[in-house]
Amino acid sequence: MVDSFNRRRFMLAAGASVVATSLPSRASDEASAVKSWDFEADVVIVGSGAAGTTAAIEARRLGKDTLVLEKLLKRGGSSAMSGGVVYAGGGTELQKACGFEDSVEEMYDFIVTAGRKHPHLDKIQYYCEQSIEHFSWLQTMGVSYKPSFTKTKGLPGSDDSLYYSGNELAWPNREKVRPVPRGHVPGHSGWTGGKYLMAALHHSADQLGVRFMHSVSCERLIQERDGRVTGLRVEIDGVVKHVRAKQGVILASGGFIHNREMVKLHAPELYDCTVPWASAADFGMGIQMGIGAGGSAIRMDQGFAILPLYQPDHVLKGIIVNRAAQRFIAEESYHAVVGNEICYRQQGEAYLITDASSQYGYEDYRVEEIARASSIAELEFKLSMPVGALQHNVSYYNEHAEKGRDPLFFKDKAYLAPLNQPPFVAYDLAVDKAFFTSHTFGGLHTTINGEVLDPWGEPIPGLYAAGRTTSGLPTAPYIASGISLGDCTFFGRQAGKQAGGARS
Amino acid sequence: MRFLMSAGVLLLLSLQSVELYSQVLKGDAQRGLRVFWQCRSCHYPEQGLAHNNGPSLWAIFGKTAGKQAGFDYSQPFRRAQFVWTPQLMDVWLQDPSKFLLGNMMMNPGVPDPQDRADLIRYLQTFKE
Repeated sequence: MVDSFNRRRFMLAAGASVVATSLPSRASDEASAVKSWDFEADVVIVGSGAAGTTAAIEARRLGKDTLVLEKLLKRGGSSAMSGGVVYAGGGTELQKACGFEDSVEEMYDFIVTAGRKHPHLDKIQYYCEQSIEHFSWLQTMGVSYKPSFTKTKGLPGSDDSLYYSGNELAWPNREKVRPVPRGHVPGHSGWTGGKYLMAALHHSADQLGVRFMHSVSCERLIQERDGRVTGLRVEIDGVVKHVRAKQGVILASGGFIHNREMVKLHAPELYDCTVPWASAADFGMGIQMGIGAGGSAIRMDQGFAILPLYQPDHVLKGIIVNRAAQRFIAEESYHAVVGNEICYRQQGEAYLITDASSQYGYEDYRVEEIARASSIAELEFKLSMPVGALQHNVSYYNEHAEKGRDPLFFKDKAYLAPLNQPPFVAYDLAVDKAFFTSHTFGGLHTTINGEVLDPWGEPIPGLYAAGRTTSGLPTAPYIASGISLGDCTFFGRQAGKQAGGARS
Repeated sequence: MRFLMSAGVLLLLSLQSVELYSQVLKGDAQRGLRVFWQCRSCHYPEQGLAHNNGPSLWAIFGKTAGKQAGFDYSQPFRRAQFVWTPQLMDVWLQDPSKFLLGNMMMNPGVPDPQDRADLIRYLQTFKE
């Protein structure tokens, strides 16, 4: 009886499912069902951040009527909210002006060796080979840089434009590839370089005659029967409209960190990070529309998880340990690399162990003090760590630190000092307890020219993508600030040129 | 006309909110510190850190909206004449898209009332 009842409920549920899926909510719309077009352009771009705007500039420079659709009232997306760093090298004008030598090979080697296994080598190579030209292009578009270098660890608050923006100086990278500063940030005081970068790019786009529409919510791509993408279904003030793209659609609407269900499904490690870091429009719609049209989405689990422990830098004289009281990284590593280790490899938990000389010394908003003790043994007890484990590891660390050594992770001597001055304080670095920002890197699979590929590796006619809607240069771990914005601006341009050059 | 409608809605919402806010919710600054994390991509409440992508929130309560020197406000805020109170901050954060139409807030807001109360209590700690 129970089985029968359950079977009937199942059948009813299955019937409901069929009804639900038969409603008009297809993954993409058929062009033949569109009765009339409300707007049209040669190239239609979804998103007005760095990728979308650079794509629009290049398509427009090819003489194409170019229309950018922005979901929010304000242009710029997450790019405008960022620090505005572009990772550039190979011997840019700025590097030379600051007295640094670089080469395409060294830049390539750093990106390949410091990051995750099996990255997109074709994109990295193209990006590095064209980096000098790309930086000049940004300057031509009105982005201004000050020819000065700063040793500041982390995004400069000064107006200096060149700095070590990533993990170049940390072990083992510094031994594998000669460290060179490649963080190129607009020359303005403060941490708002993205605002200046995007203001310059938008000004150039406006001058060229790119058309922008705001408050447009893009819902579905429109495809011909042969699969060619020819437009979009959008909503403006709740009214459905159809936008025709005569040559192509470029999806550049950011990642999906604010779509919490999508994050839980595709990037579960990032889900518990306390601070989704992006514009409100990073909702995954571009990726979903691309998938709906037959595109392949890859590396969807990847992203950055950043715990910005520094500045102040003196806290890096503490040690970072996991629940078993073991160190697992050189503490001065780029904060996204440290964050990646905690998030992806230490089950999201870690502690910063400090003594009197390495504590914050004030109540910092980023981390919470969870234990204070007069001895390491007492601290270990308060943290419920295995008996003797923290004592042993601090003793081992101190023994070598006194001699200026770190046999485990070769920590920079500038941050190497024994932990021997009470009180000892532990800060909670767990992804769900500390100021842990997160952003997604997974997305549509594309060629170096921005063509969206289907699961068989074939380009979908008329469909292009760039920026965090795609899987590009940034991987987990994120190895340097500016890799993502560099990828957005450079491959946005390629997508714009490819779509703009396509036949009507 | 649109501005007038916005002002009317604002007044109505604020009157409703004053009642609800004061009757029910008590904010906790320590919890608010965490709620505010999402706002730090654009705002600093600390004195001396000035404006970011959004205006400084140092001693924000009691200031007339949209008038801080050195920040390029959107038109609705430039024209605004109200003074920031905890009650109006609560309305604003509930859904920024419905408060002063045409503003440029890049964040979807803080839907949970207790989170808003905590955040507001946290902001109240930043003052002379």
